[in-house]
Amino acid sequence: MVRLLVGLGLILVFVAAQASFTIGEWEQGMVVQFGDPKRIIQEPGLYFKLPGVQNLVRFEKRILTTDAREAEYITLDKKRVLVDHVSRWRIEDPLQFYRSVRDRIRAMARLDDIISARLRQEIATHNFLDLIRENREEIMAIVTKDTRTTAKDFGIMVTDVRIKRLDLPDEVQSSVFARMRAERERIAKRYRAEGEEQAQELRAGANREREVILATAYETGEKLKGEGDAKATSIYANAFGKDAEFYAFTRRLQAYEKILSQDTTLVLGSDSALLSYLQSPGTPRGMSE
Amino acid sequence: MADRWQNQGGGSPGDELLQGLEDLKRTLQRFTKGAGVWLIIGAVALLWLGSGIYVVGPSERGIVLRFGAVVAETGPGLRFHFPWPIEKHVTVDIARVRSVQVGYRTSGTTGRTGRGNTRTIPQEALMLTGDENIVEVNLVVQYRVGNPVEFLFGAYEPEKILHSSAEVALRSSVGGNTIDYTMTAGRLDVQEQAKAALQSLLTAYDTGLIVTEARLLAVDPPTAVRDSFNDVVRALEDRDRLKQEAQGYQEDVVPKARGQAAQMIQEAEAYKAQRVIRANGDAERFLYVLAEYEKAKVVTRDRLYLESIERIMPDMEKFILDSRNAGGVVPLLPLRDMGAGETAAGAVVGQEGR
Repeated sequence: MVRLLVGLGLILVFVAAQASFTIGEWEQGMVVQFGDPKRIIQEPGLYFKLPGVQNLVRFEKRILTTDAREAEYITLDKKRVLVDHVSRWRIEDPLQFYRSVRDRIRAMARLDDIISARLRQEIATHNFLDLIRENREEIMAIVTKDTRTTAKDFGIMVTDVRIKRLDLPDEVQSSVFARMRAERERIAKRYRAEGEEQAQELRAGANREREVILATAYETGEKLKGEGDAKATSIYANAFGKDAEFYAFTRRLQAYEKILSQDTTLVLGSDSALLSYLQSPGTPRGMSE
Repeated sequence: MADRWQNQGGGSPGDELLQGLEDLKRTLQRFTKGAGVWLIIGAVALLWLGSGIYVVGPSERGIVLRFGAVVAETGPGLRFHFPWPIEKHVTVDIARVRSVQVGYRTSGTTGRTGRGNTRTIPQEALMLTGDENIVEVNLVVQYRVGNPVEFLFGAYEPEKILHSSAEVALRSSVGGNTIDYTMTAGRLDVQEQAKAALQSLLTAYDTGLIVTEARLLAVDPPTAVRDSFNDVVRALEDRDRLKQEAQGYQEDVVPKARGQAAQMIQEAEAYKAQRVIRANGDAERFLYVLAEYEKAKVVTRDRLYLESIERIMPDMEKFILDSRNAGGVVPLLPLRDMGAGETAAGAVVGQEGR
């Protein structure tokens, strides 16, 4: 009797374990009966199903990521760009999801196709510069919106689609590098020329300053000399003016001393005043006849 | 009773099960009888309940799940939840700052601050700027968990999302600016733009992560053009150098000119002073002599004249012509040759004798 009870108890526990399941915060589930979806469970908790008859399929409830491989696109101005986009999405309707794409890997592939096609279309209507600069957000908003609409059919809610990388193909990249080099060379030249310019200006300024300083000094100097000359002249005039004849006499004597040297040859007439006593002793004053 | 326990040792697994059930039966029988059974059951129950005790560390938060659903978020301390299979817990460190590297990876043992062996990853690091240039950027993002429930259940692999979102944010902020701005003045600006963009993405994706810092470690021109960029830096230095040199020239030339000017003026001052002083001296001398001269004009005149002559004449070559021999000096020219000639003095003397 007891044995039977225990046996029954064990079977009960086994069945209960088969019939109950928990859905975590991070997942959602679908109860399938012979391939036929019966129930969708989106809230976490403890649930029951018919053991043996019904199966549980679990789906991720968190936000998922599709990181596509980079692909080449062509812009409106016929430039080739490599774009690598990343999309975030979640399974909103497990039933729809299960029916249309069944699992995550297939869902990702489908999404990738949809986004790439839409992106190709959108990139083809924009110029390259718009793409990297102003309209990146705008384009992504449009692509996100359209993808969201399409993906709804798969039970998928697309949070957003973003361009992760937007690069140039290698051969274009090298021409960009060449252009960058040329641009830098131009800038470097400009800096050096500016340096020369400023240096020349400074040097010329310094030279000008020097000339002005020297000329001013010359001016002042000459004025001072003139003052000295003038003063000296007036002093001489005052003094010598007292007896101009005597000045003429003494000054000439001084001048003779300076002018005449031993190289000078002097021719004197025998009747010159200097030699007046050479030929006769003369007569003293007062004794004249 | 004790014998029975011992005898139940061996036997096949099926037997064991049956014996186990037998035991259970007996235990149940004892259940009604002795307190020992209660003790065992109590101990097992205690152990079971005890498995619900858990510790939340000082920087952690505990999340309690009842049948998979979040029922509580607990702070640090010794905590309790209903044991398995009803409840379980997850702890999340919300204070630890983690970091993710974009554009480069450090390898080997590196400190928290040191960059160690850094390897740039071109696919990640090279990006287009708004003016169609390419720049190499390395970014480090530091983050922590802000909302543990979201972190656990909001997004699948939140830290992977963080990495790709950091790339998205960085590229869009670099793409919105020019290369020069990004590399120089706008570096902080670009950094902040990237940080803000990243945070808004992380919020939109329910990652529960908070970016504490996003720092641009390197914003460099790509290797292929680095030389040209370095040359621009050199050119800037050249410009400054040329300017400095010219300033040096200026600072050399101008003071020298000033010195020269000062010298010229001093010399002129000296000239002026000496002219006046000398004039005064000359005048004084003249006036003194004049005063004496006026007392005896004739004698003084003669004396002055003769004194001068005495000083001048001794060394000179002199010719004295007899004035009666009128006709001037012309017949004797050129005097100099005669003076230099042998007969010079003699000839004149001879003439004189005639």
